Amino acid sequence: MKLNTKDLIGGGLLVLVAVVGLWLNQDHTLGTARRMGPGYMPMLSFWILLGLGAIVVLSGLFNGPDPLDKWTPLEIYAVPLGVVAFFIGYYLAGMVGFTGWYPLGFGALAGCLAFSVAPGWRPLGLVHAGMAVFGLMLEQFGLMVSIVGCVIVASLADPTHRVKGVLGMIVFLCVLCWFVFIRELDIRVPLWPVFLTQ
Amino acid sequence: MELLLTNLAHGFSVALSFENLLFALLGCVIGTAIGVLPGIGPVATISLLLPITFGQPATTAIIMLAGIYYGAQYGGSTTAILLNLPGEVSSVVTTLEGYKMARNGRAGAALATAALGSFFAGTVSTILVAASGPLLTQVALSFGPADYFSLMLLGLIISAVLAQGSVVKAVGMVVLGVSLGLVGTDVQTGQQRFTFGIPELSDGIGFVSIAMGMFGIAEIILNLERPESRSILSSKVGSLFLTREELKRATPSVLRGTALGSVLGILPGGGASLAAFGAYMMERRISKGRHEFGSGAIEGVAGPEAANNAAAQTSFIPLLTLGIPANAVMALMVGALIIQGIQPGPRMVEAQPDLFWGLIASMWVGNLMLLVINLPMIGVWVKLLQVPYRYLYPSILIFCSIGVYSLNNNVFDVYQTLFFGLFGYLCSKLRLEAAPMLIGFVLGPMMEEHLRRAMLLSRGDVMVFVERPISATLLAIGAIALITMLLPNIRKKKEEALAE
Repeated sequence: MKLNTKDLIGGGLLVLVAVVGLWLNQDHTLGTARRMGPGYMPMLSFWILLGLGAIVVLSGLFNGPDPLDKWTPLEIYAVPLGVVAFFIGYYLAGMVGFTGWYPLGFGALAGCLAFSVAPGWRPLGLVHAGMAVFGLMLEQFGLMVSIVGCVIVASLADPTHRVKGVLGMIVFLCVLCWFVFIRELDIRVPLWPVFLTQ
Repeated sequence: MELLLTNLAHGFSVALSFENLLFALLGCVIGTAIGVLPGIGPVATISLLLPITFGQPATTAIIMLAGIYYGAQYGGSTTAILLNLPGEVSSVVTTLEGYKMARNGRAGAALATAALGSFFAGTVSTILVAASGPLLTQVALSFGPADYFSLMLLGLIISAVLAQGSVVKAVGMVVLGVSLGLVGTDVQTGQQRFTFGIPELSDGIGFVSIAMGMFGIAEIILNLERPESRSILSSKVGSLFLTREELKRATPSVLRGTALGSVLGILPGGGASLAAFGAYMMERRISKGRHEFGSGAIEGVAGPEAANNAAAQTSFIPLLTLGIPANAVMALMVGALIIQGIQPGPRMVEAQPDLFWGLIASMWVGNLMLLVINLPMIGVWVKLLQVPYRYLYPSILIFCSIGVYSLNNNVFDVYQTLFFGLFGYLCSKLRLEAAPMLIGFVLGPMMEEHLRRAMLLSRGDVMVFVERPISATLLAIGAIALITMLLPNIRKKKEEALAE
C-alpha cells in the first residue's frame, strides 16, 4: 500500500463537511426540479462534494506515499489539547458571566495558546492568539491597547524579535492605525479604554 | 470605432480626475511595494484593503484595487532580477534568466526590459479590454439563465483544471466553496440555511473573512515556518539602456508574450502566473536566443514579463463583461463590487459607464505611472527589501483585524477570520488549493439563482442545458477540458508546466 496521507485527510475533510451539510440540510424543503426549494442546491452540491471527497480518499490509498511533515509526539498531543482547551475556555467564560461573543473569543484564545505548547505550532498558535486577544480587548479597552496586546502576543511567534523592535513597531502601528482608521475612515470604535473615558 | 473613441475619452475624463488619479497612484505604489516584498501577494493585500475602500465611490475603489494587481506584476520582477527571489508567483520564471543577466552586469537592462515590456503589454491589453468589452457584452446580453449557469460551470471547471495539483481535489475545493456560498438566507423563501441560529451568518459567511483568513493570515504562518533567506544585493544595477542588439532580441519576445498573456489571462483560473510560465516555455523553445537560456537570455525576461502584465489586465475581461471572476484576485473584485451595491455582469457597461471606461483608462494611466515609479526609483524599492518579515507580519495581522471588524463593527467577523486562518493553514498543508474555493464561493449563490430560473422556465426539464446551443457548447467545452485533464499523459505535461 502506498498511502497518501495528505489525500486521505484532505478527502476525509471534504467528506466530513458534505455529511454534516447533508444532515443539516434535512431541515430545508427540497421542492421539485421545477420549483426548487431552499434545500435543493445544497443537496446537489453536498452530494457532489461527498462523491469528490470519496474519490480523493480512495485514490489516496494508492497514489502515495505523500506523508505529512514529520510530527513530534508533542505536536500530535497539542491538537486534541487545543480543541479541549477551546471548549473549556468557551464554557468557563460563559459560566463566569461573559455574554455575546466573549465566550467564543476566550475559547479561541485558550485553544490557540494550548496549540502553542508544541514548538512546531507556535507560529500558528500565537499569530491566531494575537487575533483573539485583539477581538477580546477591542470594545472594552479600545483600539490602542488592543494593538499593544495583539502585537505583543503575535511577536512571540517569531523568536528573532527583540524588545526594542517590538516597542518601535507598536508605536508605529498605533500612529498608523489612528491616522488611517480613526482620522481618515472614522470607524466606530473606542480609541482608549472605555472605563477611563467614562 | 468612433463610439469607442468617445467612450475612451469619457473614460480618461473619469480616470484623470484628481481623486481617481491619486488612488490609481496609491494602488500602483502599494502594488509595487508588495510585489517587491516576497511573502505578501496581491490577493492578501487586496483583501486587506477591501474594508478601507467601502467608503469610497465604486469607481475609485476598483481603480485602486486594480492598480495593486498590475502594480504587483511590475514590482515582482525587481526582486526576481536583483536578488534571485521571486516577489510574486508570477515572476518565478523571471529569476531564471533575469538573475543571470544581473550577474553578467546587465541588471539594468533586464529591469528596463521587464518594465518596458510590461508597459507595452499593458497598453495592448488595455486596448483589447476596451475593444472586446462592449462586443462581449452584446453577446452576453442574449444569454438566458441556462446559458449563464453553464458559463459559470465552465468557468469553475477551467479554474479547477488549471489549478496546481490534483484536478479532483481542485474541483472538490470549488464545490466546497459553492457550498459555503449557500450559507445564509435563501433569497426566494427567506429561510435561514446552515446559520446555526447565528444572526451574523444570515447574510452569508463574510467574503472578506474568507479571503483574509485563507490568503492573509494563513500565508503569515507559512512564511514564518520558512526560514528567511534574503541575500543582500550583490550586483550593481548598471545602465538602464538596452543595446541595439538586446532591443532586437527582446522585441519579438515581448510581442509573443503579450499575445500569449492576453489569451491566458481571459481563461478562468489563468491569470498572471500561468501566463508567465507559458511565455517562458514558449521562449525557451522557439526564440532565436534559446541556446543562451540558462546563461542570461534577455528573451527569458522579456516574454514572461510582458505576458504576466498582459494577463493581469485581460483577466478583467470576463469580470467586466460577464461578471465571472477568472482568478482569486477577480473574485475579490466581484466581492468589492457587490459590497458597493453593483451586480457585476453584462449590464455593467451600460449601467456603470464611469466604472467600466474609467477603469480601462486608468489601467493605461497606471501603467505609465508604474514605468516612472519603477525605473528611476529602483533604489527605493530595493531598500524596502531590508525590512525584515518579523516587522511585516504583525502589521498585516493588525490591519486584517481592524479592517474586518470595521465591516460590520462586530467582533464576530474577527473570530470568523481567525477560523478561516486556521482552516487555510490546514488546507495548504493538505494541498487543497484556496483559490478555486474562493471563486466557487463567489459564484455559488449566482449559480443557484440561474439554476432555479432556468429550471422554472423549462418546467423542470434538465434537457434545457443541452438543447440551447450556447449552453450546450459551453458544457461541451467544459467536459472536454475535464476529460483531457484526467488523461494521465496530459496531466503529466501540466504538472511539468506548473512545477515551480
